[in-house]
Amino acid sequence: MAEPLKRRILEEPEEASAALRLVRSSLPEALRSHVQSARVLDREIKDAAGEGAFPTAVPALDRLLDGGLPRGQLVELVGSRTSGRFSALLAVLAAATSIGEAAALVDLGDGLDPDAALGAGVDLQRLLWARPARLKDALAAAEMLLAGGFPLVVLDLGNPPVRGGRGVEAAWLRLARAARAHDSALLVGSPYRVSGTAAGVVLKAGRVHAAWRGGAGSPWLLAGGSSRIELEKHRGRLHGQSETLTLATAIAPRPAAAPAPRPQLLPRDAREERPAAVAAFPRRAAAG
Amino acid sequence: MARIACLLLPLFPLAARLRSEPELMHEALVVVEGNGNAARVVAATRLARNASVRPGLTLTQARALCPKLVARPRDGECERAAQEALLEVAEAFSPRVEDAGEGTAYLDVDGIERHYPGSSPERDLGRALMSAADAASLPARVGIASSKLASRVAAGLPEPPVVVPAGEEAAFLAPLPLQRLAPEVDVAETLERWGVKSVGDFARLPPSRVASRLGKLGRELHATARGVDARPLMPREPPPVFQEGMTLEWPLVSLEPFLFVGRAALDRLCLRLESRGFACIRLGLDLRLEPDGHQSRSIDLPAPTRDVKTLLTLVRLDLEASPPGAPVAGFSFLAYPDRPREAQLTMYGPAALSPDKLATTLARLFALLGPERVGSPRPVNGHRPERFALVDFTPPPPPEVRREPRAGRGLLAVRVLRPPVEIEVMTAGSEGAEMPVEIRSPASEEAAKRTSVEGQVKVASGPWGIEEDWWADDPTGRDYWDVELAGRGLYRIYRERATGAWYADGIYD
Repeated sequence: MAEPLKRRILEEPEEASAALRLVRSSLPEALRSHVQSARVLDREIKDAAGEGAFPTAVPALDRLLDGGLPRGQLVELVGSRTSGRFSALLAVLAAATSIGEAAALVDLGDGLDPDAALGAGVDLQRLLWARPARLKDALAAAEMLLAGGFPLVVLDLGNPPVRGGRGVEAAWLRLARAARAHDSALLVGSPYRVSGTAAGVVLKAGRVHAAWRGGAGSPWLLAGGSSRIELEKHRGRLHGQSETLTLATAIAPRPAAAPAPRPQLLPRDAREERPAAVAAFPRRAAAG
Repeated sequence: MARIACLLLPLFPLAARLRSEPELMHEALVVVEGNGNAARVVAATRLARNASVRPGLTLTQARALCPKLVARPRDGECERAAQEALLEVAEAFSPRVEDAGEGTAYLDVDGIERHYPGSSPERDLGRALMSAADAASLPARVGIASSKLASRVAAGLPEPPVVVPAGEEAAFLAPLPLQRLAPEVDVAETLERWGVKSVGDFARLPPSRVASRLGKLGRELHATARGVDARPLMPREPPPVFQEGMTLEWPLVSLEPFLFVGRAALDRLCLRLESRGFACIRLGLDLRLEPDGHQSRSIDLPAPTRDVKTLLTLVRLDLEASPPGAPVAGFSFLAYPDRPREAQLTMYGPAALSPDKLATTLARLFALLGPERVGSPRPVNGHRPERFALVDFTPPPPPEVRREPRAGRGLLAVRVLRPPVEIEVMTAGSEGAEMPVEIRSPASEEAAKRTSVEGQVKVASGPWGIEEDWWADDPTGRDYWDVELAGRGLYRIYRERATGAWYADGIYD
């Protein structure tokens, strides 16, 4: 009796709720809430252990996402130009390809520089790059890639104005459903909110505060910057939590405070020091 | 003694037609040869034969006997594809297969019966051959003997498969009329004068006397009558391409009906590829156009696939992009085979992409975006940041053991602007040491559609010069700046040394 019932629950999700009701109704009141379908239990166990998440190797993102990009969900990272959005997407791709997973970048903005991607640590052999010209094609391409079994699909919509507007909400819902059906991680980078209710998680990146080195006779050099990433939406969690994403340029020397080559949360005093250097420069530029 | 199996398709023109149009299976169908009043029935289905329609009747006579008769002309394309499919069924059992044409194939089955450890191994082998042919929509019969003629005669008998025990071929053939040996006319006349009526009568004559009176032809015919093949089995060389197609009853002028009939042909083609363990790496399409035109086209696939939906989408896009320009009277698909990609599954590492699914996905992306927009990116030697190369996406196998992700480098990446955005830059400072102080977008319609780059320069860092191709006719010389615009972000801009024009080619993002 138990084996056929178990099989029904696992293989026939549309009948699972009816079977569950049947089992629960036969149990005492106190035990009913402890019975769950095998599919949901499996998901809960994996989520609790962090197995379902795709580690991003960006500490700020991993903290906000409880260990990494959740599989089977659409995660939207919103950020205007110079928000660190593209850097974060490349970091996620680098983390995924470094563990041997294949990943796909649907690049509507056509903004990928293979040299920069290589510098960010992306294994280009494991990266499929699709360069659609319209949002409609980008959505279709992302859906094909999810159906093709890619464990990570990153869809970047480029700079505003996005070619093709915000897209149809139904298309975003279909994309989210495809991610869920294939248990893939789907990360959408956009300059403004586009996916509506389809997104399971929404992160918003603020503008990068640039850090310059030099001055006082020596040439100015862009050393990097930092931006604030805020959790706008997360199913089952309170929003409003934020983290700082710190980024450095490839040519800039690493600050002594961060010896490990990875994004670090800057201490508060370090963040406060930067604007002083920036504020000092305009006088020099204006004076020529 | 060699054992030979004969795979025979009775009523071959009809069987080939029904393979292409299976929906006619339950109709009173005849296949005719010739045009107009000269059209004669070549083969008829059981329903038509029940209405007394026989081969040799004119189509008018046949229609008079059976008013609901469906007639189809003999189609060389269908018959060639059916013959090829029959040979492929045979090749799935034995590497030595002879193409005897007209729905007949001989295969060397010596020793294969050992795979069928039943009470009658050869009979089981015959049944397996018939099932395999049936799965390929070919209602074939099987006869097994030690000679080609005996196996062919056995295949034509009721209740197949019929097995003639080794050494009993002469006795098996003896009662048959002499015509079954299909002798030359003069030899047949001579034998008739001698009073030889059956194969057995002929086989009983002394071989040396027959040879001295009838020459080489007579000697070979006599050997055949005794169950000895005059010529051994001649194995064929498998063709390099798989082909499926048909001649259309009416020329087609629109795409949808063509894709409808094309899908059925692609279905059969992919089934054949699958039965041989192949996938299609290039799909050719030959179109016969009205009145007497011909057009060939070819679609290269990014990876071997046998997904019918994908192939059909590619055909649709190709035909939409360049229509044939005349009604299509017949077509034929050519699949260039290749081994499908294989993936080694891993127990502890990340799962590899399924090669079949990947091939299908890539083909569909090619169809959607174009081959120049899909691939694996690679850097190109040189200094110009907008350049890149795309190569085929063939990811290496994943590691055997799952490993921890490498810590990110936390680099501030540049989002490249392709093509660069033209800008107007105000500079200040002495000549040779100018610094950008303000950026404006040119007032053009083109600029309004692109990402706008404008504002007061807060910080500028540069110039960083690059030179490339100084030896060529079109050298590149640029001076780069990193600029921070007040409240608008960080950009990478450059000035062309040759023209003095300014462009923004990247955003730090």
